[in-house]
Amino acid sequence: MVWFYLERIFGYWPVLLKGMGMTIGLSLLSLVIGVAIGFGFGIIRAGRNRWAARALGLYIDFFRATPFLVQVFIVFFILPQVGIELSAFAAGVVALSNMAACFIGEIVAAGLKAVPPGQSEAALASGMTRAQQMRLVVMPQAVRIITPSLVGQFVLLIKDSSVVSAIGLLDLTRSGWLIVQSVPNGLLVFGIVGVGYFIICYPLIHLSRRLERRGQAAFL
Amino acid sequence: MIEFSGVNKWFGSLHVLRDISLTVARGEVVVVCGPSGSGKSTLIRCINGLEPFQSGRLLVDGTDLADRKALLRLRTEVGFVFQSFNLYPHKTALENVTLAPIHVRRLSRAQAEERGRALLEKVGLADKMDSYPHQLSGGQQQRVAIARSLCMQPKIMLFDEPTSALDPEMINEVLDVMVGLAREGMTMMVVTHEMGFARKVADRVIFMDRGAIVETAPPETFFTAPAHARTRDFLSKILHQ
Amino acid sequence: MLGGLNTRVMLEYLPEIWQGFLATLFLSAASFVGAMVLGVLACALAIQPLRWLRAPAVVYVDAIRATPLLAQLYFLYFGLPRLGVVLPEMLIGIIALSLNSGAYMAEIIRSGILSIPRGQVEAGMSTGLSYLQRMRLIVLPQALRVTVSPLIGQAIVLIKDSSLLSLISVVELTRAGQRIAIDRFMPVEGLVATALGYLVLYYVLKSAAGAWQARNSLPGRG
Ligand SMILES: Nc1ncnc2c1ncn2[C@@H]1O[C@H](COP(=O)(O)OP(=O)(O)OP(=O)(O)O)[C@@H](O)[C@H]1O
Ligand SMILES: [Mg+2]
Repeated sequence: MVWFYLERIFGYWPVLLKGMGMTIGLSLLSLVIGVAIGFGFGIIRAGRNRWAARALGLYIDFFRATPFLVQVFIVFFILPQVGIELSAFAAGVVALSNMAACFIGEIVAAGLKAVPPGQSEAALASGMTRAQQMRLVVMPQAVRIITPSLVGQFVLLIKDSSVVSAIGLLDLTRSGWLIVQSVPNGLLVFGIVGVGYFIICYPLIHLSRRLERRGQAAFL
Repeated sequence: MIEFSGVNKWFGSLHVLRDISLTVARGEVVVVCGPSGSGKSTLIRCINGLEPFQSGRLLVDGTDLADRKALLRLRTEVGFVFQSFNLYPHKTALENVTLAPIHVRRLSRAQAEERGRALLEKVGLADKMDSYPHQLSGGQQQRVAIARSLCMQPKIMLFDEPTSALDPEMINEVLDVMVGLAREGMTMMVVTHEMGFARKVADRVIFMDRGAIVETAPPETFFTAPAHARTRDFLSKILHQ
Repeated sequence: MLGGLNTRVMLEYLPEIWQGFLATLFLSAASFVGAMVLGVLACALAIQPLRWLRAPAVVYVDAIRATPLLAQLYFLYFGLPRLGVVLPEMLIGIIALSLNSGAYMAEIIRSGILSIPRGQVEAGMSTGLSYLQRMRLIVLPQALRVTVSPLIGQAIVLIKDSSLLSLISVVELTRAGQRIAIDRFMPVEGLVATALGYLVLYYVLKSAAGAWQARNSLPGRG
């Protein structure tokens, strides 16, 4: 029985492969954009301009408070109303990278605040500008502190990318959803989909744990 | 070189510097002591603009500290050594020393490293160039910190309790470096309770209490015949430790 | 346009939104309880010394953490009927959410327990307490204190995750908002109403976490 279904599912392997490729592509692109914007957010959030930090905090809170599915709908259904038409893929990238930026922004801000103030004082005392202090002294240390949580965030991003299937983007989850319509064995189909995600995510989870352990050992 | 006139500073309602007037000449070594919380750190942190103050005037090497634009340049002329070293943990000893010369003074890497190596050798750390701070003892870290300041070729060196975070057996290795520096004619202001150091190289010792300068005297007078009761009281406490 | 929200329609649908809000609250609360039970169980298995009992807990936690909730949800939704188990969508949703959050809770509780200094356990040993006594009297009370904030964080995640149940046609807050969008072609109004509901829940829980933190960061209590 199982073999019968397995054979039929593997008849769909091009769809599965395509879905997996989409999941990886979507996640990677959103990751790069999300990290870039997220570091900008973090610097503003930890920065000296109180008002900018607070205003950005409200924006970030909104995207931390609402479900990602709702955010995907907002991007896909509301942006067109203000004249921005996006394909499902573009909408997915916008929604995913925006959410990633919000979460990464808070992580970066926490990392920057965790660097002892004596560090920026030492940099200040040697005549560095604010930008040099950030680039040469504070940020490199903050990055070390936050690397494990950043990797953890990447895993969340990959998993959240599955939600974009709700607006019809053919990712790994969507490919499972399509296959299960004609091969009615959900356990097997989504078992295989799950294995696909596991292959991508598990090494990252492992890496994050190792980095965390190493981080605890360093600086002592 | 350093000229305070009528400087006042408050932290909120706390009056931490009261009407400070003080002149330090080129090549002079001034030791500052006083009880905890008396404002010693605040005083020397003002000199390179780490702390702003509310009233009075402070001239350092001819630059008015009120001029915030000149501050950046001034800081390159004034070295500061912290009680807690504040070495950059992600950089080796040599990189700690050369970072500001490369990025602030715009020296080439080769020039900066040449200068940095010479200074690390001078403070007795020729074999620790490539060690990271966490691989060094406290005394070694503080000597790297001194070399880091010197590498900017400052005209003035400020020290805020440079040995009070150190184990007793490491204090002298740091003090020896500082004595050498004083003998070379560096203008120095040193917050410390190491009275041996004061006796050996200080031109003047200042006693601070509750934000004010209570007494200023050459070391021999300061230790043998202090003018104020509060100074005597303080000296008897620290000398009996 | 965004400026011209049709508040009349939003008010008209208020009862449905309210129903959806309550459904989300109920779903999340039920799943939170389920997840707590699973989390404590998995954690207990993961930290006890027998290897063959640890393995299932580890597999469970890793399998859940490395796959998306939506795939887990579809796994149950399309898979359970194959096994002859026919359940209402709502129940499938609660099971999926509990299984999913349970794995994260196991990790939270575990790191809470591991954060207790070894000296505490040794102090307990030296006064002759048994393993269970040490757990109950020394480790758990302290571990609980540090796990409260992350557990509230997990509750926030759970509430947001429950929106995925709308994709297997459970009527909750997200689905209720979509009704405005579908019936009246007013996606903006529907999404605004939905987002407001989640924002309320988020801020309530966030301030609860803040209050807890403030109360427990008093000296000697942290
Ligand atoms: N950033 C700050 N905000 C508020 N008060 C401060 C701050 N820094 C220092 N103070 C207060 O100012 C006073 C002087 O502090 P300062 O650090 O200059 O003393 P100190 O003489 O260096 O003491 P110690 O020997 O303990 O280092 C103290 O009462 C201190 O509590
Ligand atoms: Mg001090």
